[in-house]
Amino acid sequence: MGMLIVMLCLAGSAVALILRSARAVPAGPAARGDVPERLLRWAAGLLSAQRAEWGQAMLGELDHIDGWGPRWRFAAGCAGAALLLPPWGRTAAALWAMVLAAAGAVGVYAAVAVRYRLGAGGWIFAAIVLVFLVGFTLAAATLLRRPGIALPGLLGGLVVALTWLALSGFTFSGVTAPMTAPWSRLIAQVAVPALVGVAGALWGGSAAAGRRIVRLAAISGGLGLYLYATIAVAVLGAGGPPSDPGSTVSSTVGDRLGSAVLKDLVLLPLVTATIAWATATATARLRPSLAASLVSVPVPATGPAGGPNPDPVTTPHEAGPAVRVRSWHGAAWLLLLWAGVAAAVFLAVVSGLRG
Amino acid sequence: MQRNRAPSAQAISVLRALAADPARWRYGYDLVTEVHLKSGSLYPMLVRLTDRGLLETSWEPGQGSRPPRHLYRLTLAGREYVAALPAARAGQAVPRLHNRWSEA
Repeated sequence: MGMLIVMLCLAGSAVALILRSARAVPAGPAARGDVPERLLRWAAGLLSAQRAEWGQAMLGELDHIDGWGPRWRFAAGCAGAALLLPPWGRTAAALWAMVLAAAGAVGVYAAVAVRYRLGAGGWIFAAIVLVFLVGFTLAAATLLRRPGIALPGLLGGLVVALTWLALSGFTFSGVTAPMTAPWSRLIAQVAVPALVGVAGALWGGSAAAGRRIVRLAAISGGLGLYLYATIAVAVLGAGGPPSDPGSTVSSTVGDRLGSAVLKDLVLLPLVTATIAWATATATARLRPSLAASLVSVPVPATGPAGGPNPDPVTTPHEAGPAVRVRSWHGAAWLLLLWAGVAAAVFLAVVSGLRG
Repeated sequence: MQRNRAPSAQAISVLRALAADPARWRYGYDLVTEVHLKSGSLYPMLVRLTDRGLLETSWEPGQGSRPPRHLYRLTLAGREYVAALPAARAGQAVPRLHNRWSEA
């Protein structure tokens, strides 16, 4: 049942992305819209407000570079610089906390693998986990840099993780056991993510900010819960909930580590992000004041040969996806979103009743 | 707090390139090609040199629908800094050539 929900979420995400790309408005009449420009536009959006001008400087320069290779080299270099360019402010502390959580999870996994002699398969799986965790950390780094995202995103992640922990009884044994309590899946996989999405859109003040908040909530919640589950496996070993008859200690521990990855690094982030993303979008649509908009960051302009120009050159700066949507697109969009949510609710209810 | 560390060799190259014609406004990509720097190294350097008051920036309005373009040249303080460089460097036995892009 969990895999079915994951599949539904993946399909819903794919449909949403297709529709989003179909309704996207070009960045400007002169914009080439190629991959280097998109990459640099995305990276420029990560810069802090006081450095936003430099992102526009990079984009303006890229517009005058021709050739696939030079454009790629320039855009990639600038994107790397934009990712690292200070100031990071207080978000640096949040990023370090996530890096430490990921490193801690890897360390605990390695200790368990050594202690229970998980063999080559266990280490290959550890490498896969490492890739997941590095991806999570990089994704969190880009989200944390966005203004107004860090605090609500991390709070949302805390709520999600605490919900899953509460449903497992706040015990190591409960975390390693499958979720079997009636309605627990409905609460953990639908209700709480839906609430996080609504709260994220309201807190962020726009659909784009709401979606970023729920992505950070999904990532941070999954990472935190994975660390907890890995520690639980290290403490319990083969103890705790009954395992399959005839299985060895190593295979039981290996199975539990694998289940933790699937549940906390795949199922939880995917389901949370999808459901919350849908409700954040729906919330913004129901409240026009929250709809994403194109805002302009004034860039002070001075002529190269003259004094300061009192009239600022206003350069468009993307704060979220554009909203010029044809009516049938909007209707199809909402229909698909709510169909996905309804299907997930139905499956979760059925799963809860059967459990 | 702004830390005024000694500029790196690359930053000095940029400053000298700008000092060749201090009154002229330069584009970022021109500096990339002239000093043979990667864009990922140049822009953080330009940011820090500007923060230190050695560079001034300006915007060239975009032609038609093209975006505006950023321009750079040395400030008076920047020119004085470059003029003082040989004397300042003479006291050092070995120039610091390590490549730390965070330095500028």
